[in-house]
Amino acid sequence: MELNQYMGMFLEESREHLQTLNRCLLSLENDPRNLSVLDEIFRSAHTIKGMSATMGFTAIAELTHEMENVLDLLRKGQLKASPAIIDTLFKCLDTLEQSVESIASNSEATVDIKPLVAKLIKLAAGKDQEEAAPAAAATKAATPVVATSSGITLNDTEIDVIKAASRQGYAAYEVQVGLREGCLLKSARAYMVMNALDELGDVIKSVPPAEELEKENFDYSFSVVALSDAEPEKVQQALLAISEIESATVLPLAIPDAAPAAAAAPAIKPAAAPEVRPEAEVPAAKLDAPPTADAPLAADKKVRGGQSVRVDIDKLDTLLNLVGELVINKTRLEQIGLSHRLTDLTETIEQMDRVTTDLQAVVMKVRMVPVGQVFNRFPRMVRDLSRDLNKEVNLIIQGEETELDRTVIDEIGDPLVHLLRNAIDHGIESPAEREAKGKNPVGEIRLIARHEGNNVIIMVEDDGAGVNPEVVKQKALEKGMITQAEAEKMDAAEAVRLLFLPGFSTAKVVTDVSGRGVGMDAVKTKIESLGGMVDVETKVNEGSRFKIRLPLTLAIIQALLVKVCEEIYAIPLGSIDSTINITPGDIKTIQNQEVILLRGQIIPIVRLGNVLGVPESGNEGAEELYVVIVHMGEQKAGVIVDTLIGQQEIVIKSLGKLLASIKVLAGATILGDGRVALILDVGSIMQ
Amino acid sequence: MAESTYADREIQLVIFKLGREDYGISILQVQEIKRILDITRVPNSPDFIKGVINLRGSVLPVIDLKKRLQLPPTDYTEDTRIIIVKVEEIAVGLIVDAVSEVTTLSGENIEPPTTVVGGVSAQYLSGVGKQDDNLLILLNLTAIVGLGAEVGKAG
Repeated sequence: MELNQYMGMFLEESREHLQTLNRCLLSLENDPRNLSVLDEIFRSAHTIKGMSATMGFTAIAELTHEMENVLDLLRKGQLKASPAIIDTLFKCLDTLEQSVESIASNSEATVDIKPLVAKLIKLAAGKDQEEAAPAAAATKAATPVVATSSGITLNDTEIDVIKAASRQGYAAYEVQVGLREGCLLKSARAYMVMNALDELGDVIKSVPPAEELEKENFDYSFSVVALSDAEPEKVQQALLAISEIESATVLPLAIPDAAPAAAAAPAIKPAAAPEVRPEAEVPAAKLDAPPTADAPLAADKKVRGGQSVRVDIDKLDTLLNLVGELVINKTRLEQIGLSHRLTDLTETIEQMDRVTTDLQAVVMKVRMVPVGQVFNRFPRMVRDLSRDLNKEVNLIIQGEETELDRTVIDEIGDPLVHLLRNAIDHGIESPAEREAKGKNPVGEIRLIARHEGNNVIIMVEDDGAGVNPEVVKQKALEKGMITQAEAEKMDAAEAVRLLFLPGFSTAKVVTDVSGRGVGMDAVKTKIESLGGMVDVETKVNEGSRFKIRLPLTLAIIQALLVKVCEEIYAIPLGSIDSTINITPGDIKTIQNQEVILLRGQIIPIVRLGNVLGVPESGNEGAEELYVVIVHMGEQKAGVIVDTLIGQQEIVIKSLGKLLASIKVLAGATILGDGRVALILDVGSIMQ
Repeated sequence: MAESTYADREIQLVIFKLGREDYGISILQVQEIKRILDITRVPNSPDFIKGVINLRGSVLPVIDLKKRLQLPPTDYTEDTRIIIVKVEEIAVGLIVDAVSEVTTLSGENIEPPTTVVGGVSAQYLSGVGKQDDNLLILLNLTAIVGLGAEVGKAG
């Protein structure tokens, strides 16, 4: 079978499942009795096992298989989720991740799984010594290998799996499949058989093995050992429904030493499971849930898989550009319709307007990804790092559903890693120190995302030591980055901002100061390259808050068009509070800064004509002034313009490399009449 | 840079006028020639940047070539054109007084810029071409577009 075409899918899905595993293991660590999390872990591990076996990555399949054994014991309460076990499972995850990545990078380096497999087997066996009856141990020793009637031999682990499954009401079947003579695409038929069995339960073994089946190295029949909670007839029917299958015999497989449980298994349905293990009625009743809960969830997943498509981001970019062109042309048609008073045209355009708006919304949505995708990998990192540093940290994540454009998502991970590492390393104190300060010994780090106007805010807050501005100042002085005079003039907030200066980030300084700084300049550069801003607030002994502001990078936005003299500018609606009319008399000055009083708030005034150097500002003698109140975070300003043209959706175009460094502009757009209007960058106008 | 090493091969040039002088740029760098369009002034940009135009949906900066070469300004006429060129993947418009012709010049008829004195500041030149009795000033577009620190400083 040609597997290369499935490689991308395999890698993506494996990564997804590994993420799920990571997340679930973390919550299992916090709540070892949470069975539903265990089930999820089990499912993910199982899926990885299945996929990797199909793809021929036996090492991964073997490791996940052993993981499943341990997980299964956990699930049944025969093993406790001790730190040792969780640690081992985390190591397995790391190894799996490594393996998947080495497959992805096509490298030959094989990851050695033997020590981990041995450890898992030992963990699984540990339970035998603790809990299982001595008889079981004896049987184990006596029958390492079981041969079935058709000559399939099962090894220890496989027998264990069958035994374990039978306790949950799954029966083991020996399935013999015969293909019609002269059947083409034998491997495909075999694949369909495996699939069908997988849907009804679980395939444990096949003769010949799966790889041989794929290579069509068999005659017209093969045998499979499978687990299922369905009745043999049903299994048989399912198999016979596959075309070109001549015969299918499904026989209950009795494991001689598995004693009554396995022998009785075929007849026992899930509901009857508690009877099999009367000695543990309560947990068994709970355990009863997994098989039933499993089914709908798995089905759910399949449906979703069938309905979603992975798309190359370049194609989405092209699509977005085309939608942008459409919006511009629509606006153009609107104007033609208006100026020529063509009612028919205007009506048609209204219709078209709705369609383009929807289309645009859909394209945007397709490109939007919840930040959770990035946030997901942090709990693990925080856990590992705080362990390494002997600190106790509680990571709280909020707003992971907040959506950002995909291009931003891809880039935002690294800066956040920096900030979180800093928070753990330098922010959060050791438990003893915290107690001495009268704080909860467990530190708290909050990672928060939320929308704010046309921006997304991501904050990393900790309740740690905070940064002492005086110490930062002192260090900056020593490094010759500021002068004594400058240092004296600086207030605390400015001093803390020194952390973002390049050169402040040499490791030595930072550990000495026990302040922030590892690569802070790198964080700042990265965020700014995304068109965002980063700022810090901190209080000694209370903690620090790093605030990142990112644009949504929506290529099409709502904007207010304004006129200054004869020039038209666009102000993004997201940063506009309101528009008001004032008279020149309303403008007061405070220390040479023009301000107005709006609902009791003092708001500084920006004369747009001056900022933009518009040749002749026409509002000199005007009786009435138009002011657009804009905001950036909590800060507000009033921008004086000559005329308000109105609200319109605009397509953001880049000004290009040549003009990229012009601060007050955020880009350009094309108006309905084909002229270019510039988009104002509210943030830099306010400075 | 390709335009400063003409060597022995023949090159095709687009010839245009600025004032009374003839200038040439390699036809390989020219994308199209447009009549004067609506130009939107860009605040705080260098003074030789006339503004931006809409070229079928993309926004391009336009350079006032006479201002860039420190030549005396003249009003736009019927003949004024914008030559759209592409320099190192960046598309830019150049405003010229008139586009006269496309001509072919062999490498041996091109002198390096160092031998010429006066007029246009030498950094924007890549050579001088001799065509019959005519002299053609060949421009170094990379320098003219100012791909470097210079443009960043707002004028």
